[in-house]
Amino acid sequence: MSTTNALVSIDHFRMDFGKTTVIKDLSFSVKKGETFGFLGSNGSGKTTTIRALLGIYQPTSGKLLINGQPYAVNGDVKLGYLPEERGLYKKEKVLDIMVYFGQLKGMSRSQAKNWSLDYLRHVELEAKSTFRLDKLSSGQQQKVQLGIAVMNNPDLLILDEPTKGFDPINRRLLMDIIEEHQQKGATVIFVTHQMEEVERLCDRILLLKDGQRRLYGTVDDVKDEFGTVVLEVVSDYPIPANEKLYSIERKEGKVTTLQPKANLLMIQRSLTSSGVTYTRFELKRPSLDDIFVKVYGGTTEEKSYYA
Amino acid sequence: MHNLGTVVRFEVSRTLKKKSFWIAALAVPIIVGLVGAVIYFSNKTTDTQSKNLANEHYSLGVTDNSHLIVPEFLKAVGAVQMSDKTTGQAAVKSGKIDAYFYYPTEISKQPVEVYGKDVGLFKNSRYQELADQLLKQSISSTTNPSVRSILQSTVSYNQTTFTSKGEVDKGFLKLIAPGIFLVLFYFMIATFGNQILTSVTEEKENRVIEMILATIKPTTLLVGKLFSLIILALIQMFVILLPTIAGYFLFKNQLSLPNFDLSTLPIDPVAITLGAVIFIVSYLMYTAILMTLGAAMPTAKEAGGFFGAVMALTFGPLYAAPLFITSPDSLIVQILSYFPLTAPIPLLLRNAVGNLPLVPALISITILIITTIFVIRIGVRIFRFGALEYSRKLSLKEIIGRRS
Repeated sequence: MSTTNALVSIDHFRMDFGKTTVIKDLSFSVKKGETFGFLGSNGSGKTTTIRALLGIYQPTSGKLLINGQPYAVNGDVKLGYLPEERGLYKKEKVLDIMVYFGQLKGMSRSQAKNWSLDYLRHVELEAKSTFRLDKLSSGQQQKVQLGIAVMNNPDLLILDEPTKGFDPINRRLLMDIIEEHQQKGATVIFVTHQMEEVERLCDRILLLKDGQRRLYGTVDDVKDEFGTVVLEVVSDYPIPANEKLYSIERKEGKVTTLQPKANLLMIQRSLTSSGVTYTRFELKRPSLDDIFVKVYGGTTEEKSYYA
Repeated sequence: MHNLGTVVRFEVSRTLKKKSFWIAALAVPIIVGLVGAVIYFSNKTTDTQSKNLANEHYSLGVTDNSHLIVPEFLKAVGAVQMSDKTTGQAAVKSGKIDAYFYYPTEISKQPVEVYGKDVGLFKNSRYQELADQLLKQSISSTTNPSVRSILQSTVSYNQTTFTSKGEVDKGFLKLIAPGIFLVLFYFMIATFGNQILTSVTEEKENRVIEMILATIKPTTLLVGKLFSLIILALIQMFVILLPTIAGYFLFKNQLSLPNFDLSTLPIDPVAITLGAVIFIVSYLMYTAILMTLGAAMPTAKEAGGFFGAVMALTFGPLYAAPLFITSPDSLIVQILSYFPLTAPIPLLLRNAVGNLPLVPALISITILIITTIFVIRIGVRIFRFGALEYSRKLSLKEIIGRRS
């Protein structure tokens, strides 16, 4: 595993909880300034890995380093962390909470206050700054928590399921904030199973399954190496099965995704002769979503590009 | 009320399955039983000691202007008849004799004056016991109805004891300054204990702990909480005390409140220092215990049961208070004074009444300090490993078993 220029390096990490092994043997690195997608289904061990990286859990074995050192709260890397388990001091005022965390992160009281008010203005919550947190909607609370995570311009931003609980508008706002920090040079670890955001934001990804690395590399590499091209047909008619020419991978409304086994002309002829008319007939690379589904369908062998 | 039965059954059965319920439920009868045994033993001892006090032998001078006291009785206790009160007082003051009784001419109208060498707040009562016994036995031995009628009336006694330096002993006033720490400890734990507990569980319940742990060290957080709680408790104390004191001075005349002359309050610097140190260390220890308990429990509700047990352990010894005063050397008092969880009350009480020698006090304080450090270390460990256990409490095996 190359660790050149790596801000985060995880080497042969294993994590047992009693007799249960959550992470078997995980190694990867995250380069300085990149946005890294840490993917996996629920319970695959993503959060456990992050908690171990931050010293909240003690690993059973292996090394988890940030800038060559185990994470220390007063270390040289400024951390912004949005945990999966969301929560803040519900009975306190929004601004007070933000200022408290700002000060914990090393800002002066006035810096923290000014920064917080700017942020609240940016996310249209300025009017709620003196409200108790529990008087805010859950989406608004999420925004406050995201603000706390990105306070003090972190060098490393770890966002565990950041879009959880956000509506599409706020999801876009969140993505903008993340992009803003990307542009400032922050290294971002994006823990999620939402593939759309990963495709949009991430330079490289790692897909975790059963406590092991299943896919690891840039988004393009993973797509190129993993998936053969798929055929997407949009039609009002059901696509008949034809094992000789194609297999049907997925059907969502009018869109049927086929895995072609013959050339496209033969498939087109077959569909026409079956009386199927279509509005779209298009070859597509598999999306990360497709790859995710396939991996968790248990059909994928481990593919590694940076091992 | 549809489904009421189902709800009640569910709530009762799930509560009965909780260990915390049984710990709280059983802790009370067990501790009450233990304390009851201590009280029984304590009462027996106190009763016996009370009888023994009157029978204790010491040098005695008596002036009997009432002519009621039978000379044979005085002889029996080895009393010397003295011509006047001034000589008797001076003899006690100078230490020539241990005690002097002055029976006035009209017993029913004037108080019997008792003077004695200070032998400790509670043992000092031996003088009055004997003076009363001599008078009552003498009156009982006569058949004169007018004299016997004195038995029906209340005879009052004025007792004065002298220190070894010949100064008048302040008696119960001595308790006030060092006793304040006992009251403070009780007040702060009783009013603030639950807040200590919830200060930790609340963060777990609010799920804020993960962000905190990624931002500051658990030790910093826990010790920070410890100090903030002490400050808050002090603030709360002042908020209650200041208006009370101000009110007393502003309205004591209007409300006819008794006049306390604080200048006469005896100040024993050693007892006050010891009391302050015991109070601070005990409060720190209990705050650390309650915080540790909070760190191990998923919710304040679950911690509540254990909180009850801790409180019973802390204040249970109060019921054995007579024993701490009258029998400080007894085994049970020694055990309760050295066992850290029960030590604060006996130590503070014994210090207040003046039967806590310096060396045992320092040993107990050292034990309390070691316990506090140990509890804080365990608390940090539990906090670190248990902080993310949002829905279950950590077992002892897990706490000890996890690698640090």
